[in-house]
Amino acid sequence: MSVKQTLAGLDVQSAIEMHYRAEVRLLQNGQYREWLTEMVDEDIHYWMPIYEQRLIRDRRPDPTPDDAAIYNDDYGELKQRVERLYSGTVWMEDPPSKIRYFVSNVEAFHAGDGEFDVFSNLAIYRNRRQLEMTVHTLGREDKLRQVGDGFKVFRRKLILDARVTQDKNLYFFC
Amino acid sequence: MPRIPTLVDNVEANQSREIFWDKDVYDLELERIFARSWLFLGHESLLPKPGDFITTYMAEDKVILSHQQDGSFRAFINSCTHRGNQICHADSGNAKAFVCNYHGWVFGQDGSLVDVPLETRCYHGQLDKEQLGAKHVRVETYKGFIFGCGDADAPGLEEYLGEFRWYLDTIWEGAGGGLELLGPPMKSILACNWKVPTENFVGDGYHVGWTHAGALLGIGGELAGLAGNRADIPFEDLGYQFTTRHGHGFGVINNAAAAIHVKRDGWAKYLADTRAEVGRKFGPEREELYVGHWNCSIFPSCSFLYGTNTFKVWHPRGPHEIEVWTYTMVPRDADAETKNSIQREASRSFGTAGTLESDDGENMSSATHVNRGTITRDGRIDSSMGVGFEGPHPIFPGIVGSSFIGETSHRGFYRFWKEMLDAPDWKTVKANDDTWDSIFTNRDYWSDKIDAAE
Repeated sequence: MSVKQTLAGLDVQSAIEMHYRAEVRLLQNGQYREWLTEMVDEDIHYWMPIYEQRLIRDRRPDPTPDDAAIYNDDYGELKQRVERLYSGTVWMEDPPSKIRYFVSNVEAFHAGDGEFDVFSNLAIYRNRRQLEMTVHTLGREDKLRQVGDGFKVFRRKLILDARVTQDKNLYFFC
Repeated sequence: MPRIPTLVDNVEANQSREIFWDKDVYDLELERIFARSWLFLGHESLLPKPGDFITTYMAEDKVILSHQQDGSFRAFINSCTHRGNQICHADSGNAKAFVCNYHGWVFGQDGSLVDVPLETRCYHGQLDKEQLGAKHVRVETYKGFIFGCGDADAPGLEEYLGEFRWYLDTIWEGAGGGLELLGPPMKSILACNWKVPTENFVGDGYHVGWTHAGALLGIGGELAGLAGNRADIPFEDLGYQFTTRHGHGFGVINNAAAAIHVKRDGWAKYLADTRAEVGRKFGPEREELYVGHWNCSIFPSCSFLYGTNTFKVWHPRGPHEIEVWTYTMVPRDADAETKNSIQREASRSFGTAGTLESDDGENMSSATHVNRGTITRDGRIDSSMGVGFEGPHPIFPGIVGSSFIGETSHRGFYRFWKEMLDAPDWKTVKANDDTWDSIFTNRDYWSDKIDAAE
């Protein structure tokens, strides 16, 4: 990332942070359809690549969308994941998990044409059943565009910090 | 420690709940199963060049699998022979040598000790480097799949796979190109005993319609009819289950190879283009298997779904936890776009965030941890489905069950699991080679059924 990028300015920065708070509220409330419809654009690439632990001298390039990934979804695929949660037959979400998102270090930059590059950190806590509690920390690289008086995400790259996921799955949106 | 004979009852087709919980059983598994069996290490495609390496596990042992200059593969314990420090901490890479972080001992690509810092001044010429190479394990390859074994007395890999190769050849060789694995693997921790997912993959067609009801409805297509077990499907016409000498087994749903894949044009075309050649090489029965969907485990802890093409290793981490590694299987000679599409669909369904995988983990963990209770644990779990509806078959090797929904291959898996725990050595195991399948008592099941059909 270049240090020369143009900051989006306080008004936009603040609007994007408000947008992220609203996004968290929808996800925490289980309003996945509303989240998808209102906050995700139809050209989305929703991507969580797999990063190996490699020696610093290893010159192999970083993963691309043609490599193995945990998420590598377009809009239709994301929608299928959302709809599964409304099927009434996802037993592991009944009773439902509790999930809390903490979004921090939001930095928004102008990317031209009403688009913004936004970097943020995520801490996600998931509580399930009686005693299960898992924590995931991620870096998030978004491309947002202004749509009406709000924003929609059309590129989302999720960078997991843990090489080995300490949870039974990563089936949640973030 | 519970008495071993009660852990598995081959006649009543049930097991003690201790097999998912007891620490002494687990310790015996490490010794008598994992240290004596051939364990999956990797595939040639994951380390294609000399000097390439990957680090992995053989049960709880850390190993380095290394591609040699002569094209062969060697594997050695990832621990320095000086004071035991782990030698290599990278997932994979290419290395001329491996240097231990602790004192800088240098091990070659073949695991031999090649350099020791300050050797002359500190060891006074008394260090026998030849005796201090990293500890080797046996390595053998079958159709590109690389396995390791810690027991010098174990049979070779081909004998270990045994008659199961008759089935594996159908897909691991296929029309000619065979399969390769795409990595890097997804890795996750699952709080379950290692046998719960292994038995699920070896033969649990029963859970598909219920556990995965939501996902199947979303995917639609052929398998949507299974969702919620609502459809009246003639299961005996839809597929089979198989178990073989060393516990390897699978279930197959006919004509359903690509059924879990939503975007499947390339993969479906590949199968359509190559099935006739598979039929020519292997005969009509295996051509039918080639276009079916397999849920399969290779004893003890390696599983795959052919068709969906997810490939799993369940590395045990104590009796109540595993580390799940997930690769994708693709035809070696498919075009790049088809390989990419198969990888995406396999990850979408059975990766760490998979639409079906996410249904399974919860069951596997609760089927393990509920046995924490003393009263609970003093009981049995049942795998009697389809007893008697199975037997030797005129064409298919091993024992064949009548439907893909049955527990024939569970029974075969636990039969061999018990045999390995009971046996002091491989010689004792080999003595059972001619009688192993006697627990499947309906010897005429298939001949009667075939006669009746004619």
